Formats: sequence, structure tokens, C-alpha cells
Amino acid sequence: MDVLLNDDEELLRDQARAFLIKESPTALVREVEAGSKDYDAALWKKAAELGWLGITFPELYGGTPAPFSDLGLLFEEMGRGMAPIPIHPTLVAALTINEIGSAQQKESLLPAVIGGYKMLSWAWFEHGGDIDLASVQLAAKVEGDCLRLSGNKLFVDGFQQADQCLVVCRSQSGSTGNEGITLVLVDTDSEGLSHSRLPTLAGDIQDELCFDDVAVPLGNVIGQLHEGGEAAVAMFERAVILNCAMMVGASHKAIEMTFEYAKEREAFGQPIGSFQAIQHMCANMVTWVDGATLLTHEALWKLSQGLPASKEISTAKAFCNERCPAALREGNQIHAGIAQIKEYDLQLWYRRVAAWSMRMGTSIQHRRIVAREIDIVPK
Amino acid sequence: MDFGYSEDNERFRQQIKDFLKANVSREFRAEVREMQGKGMGPLAKELILKIGEKGWIGMSWPEEYGGRNADRIDQYIFEEELVRARVPLNIGNFIEQAPAIMSAGSEAQKKYFIPRLVRGEVTFALGYTEPSGGTDLASLKTRAVEDGDEFVINGQKTFTSGAESASHIYLMARTDPDSPKHDGISIFLVPIDTPGITIRPLWTLAGGRTNEVFFDEVRIPKTAILGEKNQGWYIGSKALNLGRAGAMRYYTYVSLFEETLYFARSNPLGQQLMADEIARDKMAELYCEAQVARLFTLRSLSMIRRGINPPYEISSEKVWGPEFLVKSTEVVSQILGPYHQLWEGSELAPHRGSFPKRYVSAMVSTFGHGSTQVMRDAIARRGLGLPRGAV
Repeated sequence: MDVLLNDDEELLRDQARAFLIKESPTALVREVEAGSKDYDAALWKKAAELGWLGITFPELYGGTPAPFSDLGLLFEEMGRGMAPIPIHPTLVAALTINEIGSAQQKESLLPAVIGGYKMLSWAWFEHGGDIDLASVQLAAKVEGDCLRLSGNKLFVDGFQQADQCLVVCRSQSGSTGNEGITLVLVDTDSEGLSHSRLPTLAGDIQDELCFDDVAVPLGNVIGQLHEGGEAAVAMFERAVILNCAMMVGASHKAIEMTFEYAKEREAFGQPIGSFQAIQHMCANMVTWVDGATLLTHEALWKLSQGLPASKEISTAKAFCNERCPAALREGNQIHAGIAQIKEYDLQLWYRRVAAWSMRMGTSIQHRRIVAREIDIVPK
Repeated sequence: MDFGYSEDNERFRQQIKDFLKANVSREFRAEVREMQGKGMGPLAKELILKIGEKGWIGMSWPEEYGGRNADRIDQYIFEEELVRARVPLNIGNFIEQAPAIMSAGSEAQKKYFIPRLVRGEVTFALGYTEPSGGTDLASLKTRAVEDGDEFVINGQKTFTSGAESASHIYLMARTDPDSPKHDGISIFLVPIDTPGITIRPLWTLAGGRTNEVFFDEVRIPKTAILGEKNQGWYIGSKALNLGRAGAMRYYTYVSLFEETLYFARSNPLGQQLMADEIARDKMAELYCEAQVARLFTLRSLSMIRRGINPPYEISSEKVWGPEFLVKSTEVVSQILGPYHQLWEGSELAPHRGSFPKRYVSAMVSTFGHGSTQVMRDAIARRGLGLPRGAV
């Protein structure tokens, strides 16, 4: 029991932070957000060269075996540095392929992902934004050696950059809940698959997908046909905790900027940070973000140990969703007027933390999971 | 990062659980209810001595002072299980003085006090707060004047909890009225039965007791001073910071929620109330926030274990935990509704009618032992480096 980072973890964090300060300056973040490109290809290449796309993956495929918590710490820095690369969607899909894919699938997919040559996406959510697998209604019908997909997916992250998208679908009509679910890897340029970009608060790239009888070879099914429910939940949970890590990383940066601002900005002849009203806001901010960090780390650690972590993941997400944006709102209040100005950088973190808090399950939805996990739902 | 307990830790936890199961009797619980506000009854004294014999009080201290150099995490586990079993022996209150005695005490004081603290024979009441102030502690007015081989003490302390059953008072008094306020204070270890000390009870809303303690020409030998004269502020503030860490406090903050959780799962009324999804949402929210309280404590312990005196993290515990407790009383009362107002004596009262008592006593946590406002000052200044205001 030692909930602080160990030396290796600190080194990983420090190196990632130093690299992203240099390679992901806010000028680059702004440039990508302005729409001249979907992501920064040079940064993606460097991330691959540093081995970041292979953390926790087997050496056999070019990866670096490491605890899942290392990946979490890396994502904290990705959030802090707002790295404009589709590392979240790519690795969420790749981790599931690594978990349940066949040896042949892994061999053909993972080295390319880890090397930075292939980008992936994942499609889980549908209309209504529910995070329960029961909400997955995208129909997949087996016909000969194909699955034929019909329906819609929403809020699909990184689809436009991706070569392939790991789609969660309902392959047995009439099945409910976790039953009859299949995960299938779909080429993003498949015939009958159309997409439209959703304009978002964080300026990131999310799409609505429309599957109009899209034929996918059965060989692209990842895991067992009809039995992908458990893997779909695991994929969702990893996506959620890595999202928490990004929120936590970005929030730390934004509150640190605020503390520095409070020390420098003067009013009534003294730094505003010397006023108790401001000090108490700052004390709350660090308390909330520290709490979010510890909850996220505990969930990451449980996943690293192969322990059940649904409760810890949803606890972290429910808390992060509310307290991280709250901390940044206090930061805006302390900055006051300048916080709303586009050319001032604080807003870059604020919009991201806010947008990330709205995705992959609301605090209300995650507390529903917590309520189930702490066994207070009447039988 | 490592959020797990080792096999040794788990074995130790089981040992504590077994001990408590074997030694905490129905009679003990009845005595605790009976003796509330009247000091410690014979069964409580017996239990504390047994715990002392096991070597569990101050187990993380050095061996030369009666400790066992045990893992701090084991000490945390011991405290957690003690509070979880609702054994109301405020061991945290008297062991928090031990680090100060170990670092600043004379050899004679260390040899006398530490083993007795470990065995539960010496217990301290904290003589800090005075009627004129507690938060601005350094302004204290109680005087200690040198007279030959003695100090003569005159003044008054208040909210001196546990004075009715303590063997000693850990007294802060002014020894130099002419120095700046922080530099004229000393600490004394005063036997509570010294002539001239009068204790008067102050009864609290929750039926508990705290005290006023009056000092009228109280004469103590010079050897009762802890550390150097006029250094008391600095000796005391370090101990106060460390004294806020530990499972004892954390668990005090979350036990109401944990007991409500148990009630929600296992009591028919609890289950009926949990049919409401909004009530479940509120309970889940409390659960999330209780985990933060737990993790803040584990963070402080992890730091102390690495030899770091946490600059602000213990203050975070002391803000988050008490405010969580107060919030949980509010939430739980709004889930239980009219059942929550029932005192002991009604058959309809959940948890033997302990809820209304805890509702009114929760407030103490946000000002006892340093108000949450002062804690926030400490987080902002010591933790974040924000400047002091121009006065």
C-alpha cells in the first residue's frame, strides 16, 4: 500500500510531460482545432517512435509489457498536453483486439497500430446516449460468410482518421442486455457506411455513422460471434478510465495555471491570491482534482492487477464528471474577464474538460452502476 | 502506485477482528451507553489495557519507546477496525501527543510517558483552546510563570474533551508575554489531579460532554515542560498536523454513511426506501465521496511512511472528511425522513435512535481540531504557495 507514484511512474510522467510541452504546444492544438488537419501526423509518428502506442501490448507485436496504470499515466499527460492525436480511440479498440482477438488478427493488426501505421476507432453508443449494453441495437445479420450491419452509431471518436472501426452490434435479433452481442472490425470506407461529423464543444472529431446493409466478412469478428457482451463492457470501462485520466491531467494543468495567475494578478494593491475568498476557492479546486486523481489511480491499479474494477471505474467517472469541470469553473471565476477570451489559453483546457465530462456516461449513469455495485438496488 | 494490502496486512486485520469479536461484549456496549459523558467505565479501561498489552497502541513508534516499529498501514488497519466495530476509545486523541514527546521530550519524559501511553495508562486531554479563541490559538492567554523550581499556572481552557477521564492535560500556556505571540508559548505535561485544577462539564447537543478547565495557582515542577521554553508553538503545530492523519478520523467521517449503507441493504425499511432511484443516486454519490475521504487518508499515510511531513494533504482530509460527514447527515436524513428524527426508545427508530444524535453532533467535525476555514488557509498557503494578505 503506497498510493503515490513510484520512481518509474514518476519518470514516465515526467518524460511524457516534457515531451508534450515541447511537441504539443497550444499553437499546434489551436491549429488542429481550427480544422486545417484532423490530427498532427508528425506528433503521431513521434508518439509511435517513443513506443507510446505499444504500452501494455505484448513484445511479440512490438509492444512494451507494462501495467495498465502506466497507460493511464500517459493519458493523464495526453490530457494535460491536449495532444491532437487519436490515441484514445485507437488504443481503446486495439486493447480489445489484444484481449480477445485471434492470434492471426493480432498479428495482422497490432504491429501496424503500435508502429503508428494504422488508426482505429470504436463505435459503441447509439441514440439516447445510454451506457448500458441493452441500448445497443445496431443489427448484424449473419448471411453466408458475412455479417450485414444496419443501423446507426453516435459519438464515434476518431472515425475520420481511422482505417477501421470496432463496432459493437446486436447479432441475435430479439436478444437483450449483454446477450447476442458481437464485436466486428469494419473498414471505414466500406460500401453502405456513411458518416457525418458532429460539431462539438471541444472541437474534436466525432461522427454519426449510418450502416445501410454493410457487408463485413465474418473473419473480421473480434472474439466469439454473439458472445461479445463481456468484451464490449470491458472495452467501455477501459475507455472510461482513460477518459478520466485525460480529464484529471487537463484539470491539474488548468488549476495550476489559475494558482499562478492568482499569485501574479494584483487588485487593491496586492495579489488576488492573498484574499481568503480566492484562497478558499483554490483549496477546493486542488481538493477536488486530487480526489479525482486518486479515484482514477485506484481504478487503474485494479485493472492493472486484473481485479474487477467496475465499481471503481464508475466511482471515478461520476466524481470526475462533476468535480473536474467544477474546479475549472472556479478557475474561470478567479481569472474573470480573461477566461472568456479565445486567445487566452485557459479556455482550451476548460472546453476539453467540460466536453470529456459529457462523454462515455454521465455522472447520473455511472452512479447507477455504483448503486448496483454497492448492492442497494432492491432485488 | 499500489492500492492493495499485503498478505501480512490482511492477516493483521483478521487478528484485530478476531480480538474485537472476542473482547467487545454486550456488557461493554451497555457500559459505553451508560457512561456517556461520565468518563471511562471499568470495562472500557480493561479493554484499553488489553489493547495496550497486545502492543497495538502506538505500534508504529520506535521500539525504544515501547512501539514495535510496525508498518503504519497496520496501525491504520488497527484504527479502522476499532472504529468500524464502534469501539469508542479515542486512542487517536492520546497517541497524537506521542510524536511530539518523542521529538521534543527529555529522556525522563520519553521513558515515563511513551510506554504508559502504549499501555493505555496515560491519556491526555488537549489543553489548547481558550474562551477567547481556538482558531487563533497563538493568542492564548493562560500564563505560566517561573517561581524557583516551579511554574505557576493561571488561566482557563475550554472545549477540553476527555478531561473528565484523562490522566494528564497537554497544556499550552504563555511563558513570555513580551515576545511575538508565536514565540512566547510553552507546552506542559500536567497531571490532571494537580491541586488548583477544576473541571466543569459542558454538555453538548448530542448528549456528549466536553469541559472547561480552570487553573488557579497551579504549581508544577519545571521538569513538566515539554522541550524548550517558548518553543511550544512549533512543537505543538507539528504534532497537530500529524494528529489529523489516520484512520481514526477518516472512519469517524464515513461511519455514518457505512452504517446507512448497511441499513439500506439489510433492513426492510432501508430496502423499501432504496426502491426510489433518486435515493439510490444520492447514496451512490455519498459512496463516491466517501472513497475520496479514504484515499486522502491513505495518501497522507503513504507520505508519512516515506518520511514526508505532508504540506497540505492532511488539511485536505480535514476539509473533505468533516464536510462529507455533514453532507451525509443531510442526505441520510432526507432519505429516512421522519424515521430519522426518532431518538432511542422508539421501536421504529433505525439504529437504536442514533441518527438524530449524529445529525446534531456532525457539526463538531467541521470546527473541532481546526475549522475547515483554517484548513483551507493552510492548503492555499502551505500547499499552493499563495501569499498571506497585507494586513
